[in-house]
Amino acid sequence: MSRYVSTGISGLNDVLNGGIPEGSVIIVEGAPGTGKTTLGLQYLYEGAVEAGESGIYITFEELPNQLYKDALAFRWDLRRLEKENLLRIVCISPELLMQEMSKPEGLFERIIEEIGCRRLVIDSISLFRYAAQSDEAARKNLYRLRIILRKWNITSLLIREQADDLADQMPYENYVSDGVIRLALKPLMDKYRKRTLEVLKMRGTSIIEGEHIIKFMEDGLHLAPLFRMVQDKVLAQAASSLPTGIPSLDVLLGGGLPQGTAFILDTNSQANYHYLLNAVFFERLRRKERAISLLSGMNHFDSLSRFARLFDVDLEQEIKAGRALFIDHYDRPVPPGVEKGFMCVGDMDNDTFRRTIHEKLSALVTSPDFGDGRVFLHIDLSTLFTFRGLEFVLKAFSEEVASARQVGITVLALCNFMEIPSTTSSFLERLGNGVIRTWVDGNYQYVQVTKSPTGNMSPPYLIESIQQRPFIRLV
Amino acid sequence: MSQARLLSIQAECLLFFEQNPYTIENEEGLSIRLGRSLQDLSPVLERLTELSILQRLGVGHEAYYKYNQPDVSGEVLLWENI
Repeated sequence: MSRYVSTGISGLNDVLNGGIPEGSVIIVEGAPGTGKTTLGLQYLYEGAVEAGESGIYITFEELPNQLYKDALAFRWDLRRLEKENLLRIVCISPELLMQEMSKPEGLFERIIEEIGCRRLVIDSISLFRYAAQSDEAARKNLYRLRIILRKWNITSLLIREQADDLADQMPYENYVSDGVIRLALKPLMDKYRKRTLEVLKMRGTSIIEGEHIIKFMEDGLHLAPLFRMVQDKVLAQAASSLPTGIPSLDVLLGGGLPQGTAFILDTNSQANYHYLLNAVFFERLRRKERAISLLSGMNHFDSLSRFARLFDVDLEQEIKAGRALFIDHYDRPVPPGVEKGFMCVGDMDNDTFRRTIHEKLSALVTSPDFGDGRVFLHIDLSTLFTFRGLEFVLKAFSEEVASARQVGITVLALCNFMEIPSTTSSFLERLGNGVIRTWVDGNYQYVQVTKSPTGNMSPPYLIESIQQRPFIRLV
Repeated sequence: MSQARLLSIQAECLLFFEQNPYTIENEEGLSIRLGRSLQDLSPVLERLTELSILQRLGVGHEAYYKYNQPDVSGEVLLWENI
């Protein structure tokens, strides 16, 4: 199993799932001012100070003296590390380095051996192109360099200048390296710029994809991983989680839906949300927890029973045991024996409806057999909008959801944000502790966690059908 | 080249290596980094090599120089041959 070498850059190790696989040769590319040199120096400095691993920084153009001064701005005393034989800032021309690389036991290998080098940075390999007689010679030099670094098992960063004239072609360095990290400067809002880091390739470790923002801090570079918001510490730490029944979704949510939180499931009209929703709902019953559902027009006893069987749940038994309750606005026949599981509210006025629901939930959580049991409430907001109106939803939903959460009830509200005014969707997004979106773009169905109490967001995942329960997985 | 000019370039060269102690470079490379002509620099490199301040490795057009760092005790330099 590979050992992972810490990059020394907070946040970057998370993106690399622990660090760079030991012995890898990584290209770090970017335009001037994107942070390549700082990243390289920080990698060596942290390696020396934190891991006691010796490193070499080979600079072709910048003089070491300038690097010593620049590093002091981050309080990195590179000359002290040189005296302790933990670092060498070697100034050499690319031609001489290439000349010595080709000699057995040449200068390059002697420097490596001299301090027991474990980490290496070359700034920059772009000069190999200019120093070599031809592209072919430059490619051979790079290949030779990689052989030497592999031989000594040195984890290396090879810096490459990003030139506009080569932007449309894949540099050959990308093919011979084990990984490629791209640094860039991008516009931020109208007036600002942001520095980003993206891992384009990394053999031997999984990565968090996307362009992550990096910032110069007083002690070096810091990377803020993508899809991370501020964590709601009170909810995230205090609550236990309700597994959703979809293991890959639980991973995105950090274990499941935190108990006592309200999530919005935002679906567009083409997306099949039934498996997502039913997986969560019937997982509650499989775990002998209580589950309440405010039904949409599409769900009735027969369709619910079919889904229940798919999820290995005997719905009739769950209703009789008092664990499943359905609130229905539609006057639909219910088979004998399960009437107690259906509460018809279609003919109730808004005040009566609200009072009834409130009393029902209160009775559930205060009943003597409630114990530590969990209660899950699914609400179809489209039905509420249709039967109760926008104003009722905005007022009652916020108050009732707050009250439900207070007693530990976990809420999942289904909504199509495209069908309601943007002010209402913003309000619901703000009200919810988490938002899960699912949509179809014409070819695929996607799901994405865009808000959660743990602060985790996710990139969009494909929803793929599978034959076993829960019949979907995220890819 | 006058003795004064030789000493002046020698001082520049010494300062360069003191500030960039792990420089490894051939004559041409040093000439570029110091901004001095090969003609002016060659005798200086010869002199510093004789004094064992620089070490010459390799021969002919593949020769290059590296700095023999002085033993340092605190901030006191212990160059005995200068």
